[in-house]
Amino acid sequence: MITSKVSKRYAKALLSLGKEDGKYQQYGEDLRSFASFYTENKEFAQSVSNPVFSLEDRKRILNFVLGKASYAETVKNFLNLLLDKNRIDAVPGIYAYYEKLTDEVANIARAEVITPGPLGEEAKKRLEKVLESLTSRQVKMATREDKALIGGIVVKIGDLVLDGSVKAQLMGLKESLKRGEYR
Amino acid sequence: MVRRPYRPGKFLVLVVMAVAGCVLFCGLAAAADPAHGQDRSADLRDLLYRFINFTLLVIILFVVLKKVGIRQFFVSRTEEIKKKLEELRSGKEEAERKYRELEQRLQEFESKKQEIIEQFKAEGLAEKEKIVNEAQSRVKQILEQAEATVQQEIQAARDRLRGDVLTLATRQAEEIIAREMTEKDQDRLVNDFIERVGKGH
Repeated sequence: MITSKVSKRYAKALLSLGKEDGKYQQYGEDLRSFASFYTENKEFAQSVSNPVFSLEDRKRILNFVLGKASYAETVKNFLNLLLDKNRIDAVPGIYAYYEKLTDEVANIARAEVITPGPLGEEAKKRLEKVLESLTSRQVKMATREDKALIGGIVVKIGDLVLDGSVKAQLMGLKESLKRGEYR
Repeated sequence: MVRRPYRPGKFLVLVVMAVAGCVLFCGLAAAADPAHGQDRSADLRDLLYRFINFTLLVIILFVVLKKVGIRQFFVSRTEEIKKKLEELRSGKEEAERKYRELEQRLQEFESKKQEIIEQFKAEGLAEKEKIVNEAQSRVKQILEQAEATVQQEIQAARDRLRGDVLTLATRQAEEIIAREMTEKDQDRLVNDFIERVGKGH
């Protein structure tokens, strides 16, 4: 997702509020919850972001939804402000950047782990530990399966890619043979 | 040879006298002809008148011609003709001189012509040699380029073939490994990876 300058500005503003009252992680959770609801419910997203409807109507719909959720008051006010400024459709981008900011504040590194099959719990724990010692940060892993790897494992942390897949090894071998390194 | 000057008056008097004598003689002879026995005095008179008439004509003609200066005219005409002849002679000499000059120039040209032909032949030979040399060097260059292109094409074909073989071999290897890969192998690969990352740190 491409995060716009506007999204970054709003995310930074919310984070500064969260840091002041020490609830930035709760705000992050609330924002994540609303962003996923907004993305999954296209009709709701259309209703609150389309300027064809009057602002009062859109606000009534938004506050009806927010009334059902147990979000922090600051988050509710923040979402109302976004609606007033016609920036409600930027919520997913704001959350994405907010997550990055909170990760930095909490010293968290997010890792994407790709394997051809399910990864065992014991291996997950060991890998997490190794990655934490590698990055000197708390690591939160998200696993994904990709049969094309054939075997082995691929780990992505930010810009760092650690490729231990069979596919990559075969490609490396092929390139070496192409260059004539094994004559 | 000494030429006597031309005198037309004397010549004319002599002619007139000779003609008059002839006419008188012929007239008298005809009048004295006894064979016919006729009176010819009227004819003689007529002849005399004619003679007088003719003599008068001659005298008048002589006087008129003398008055208008016919002699002077012929003298000047003669001079003019002489002058013209002189001019023609000098023109002829000039033409002959020019002819001789042209003949000499022609001879010189003939001798130069040979020299020019020789020079052109030499230049032509030099040019021919130059063209042949250039053509030979160009041929050599083209052959070298062709050789290089052939070598490049061979190398490219070799690389393509190697690439194709390697792609096929890699695909085969992937299929075999995917078929033969077990959970145990996968666990071993993951453990090796974790171990390597840990050691690397």
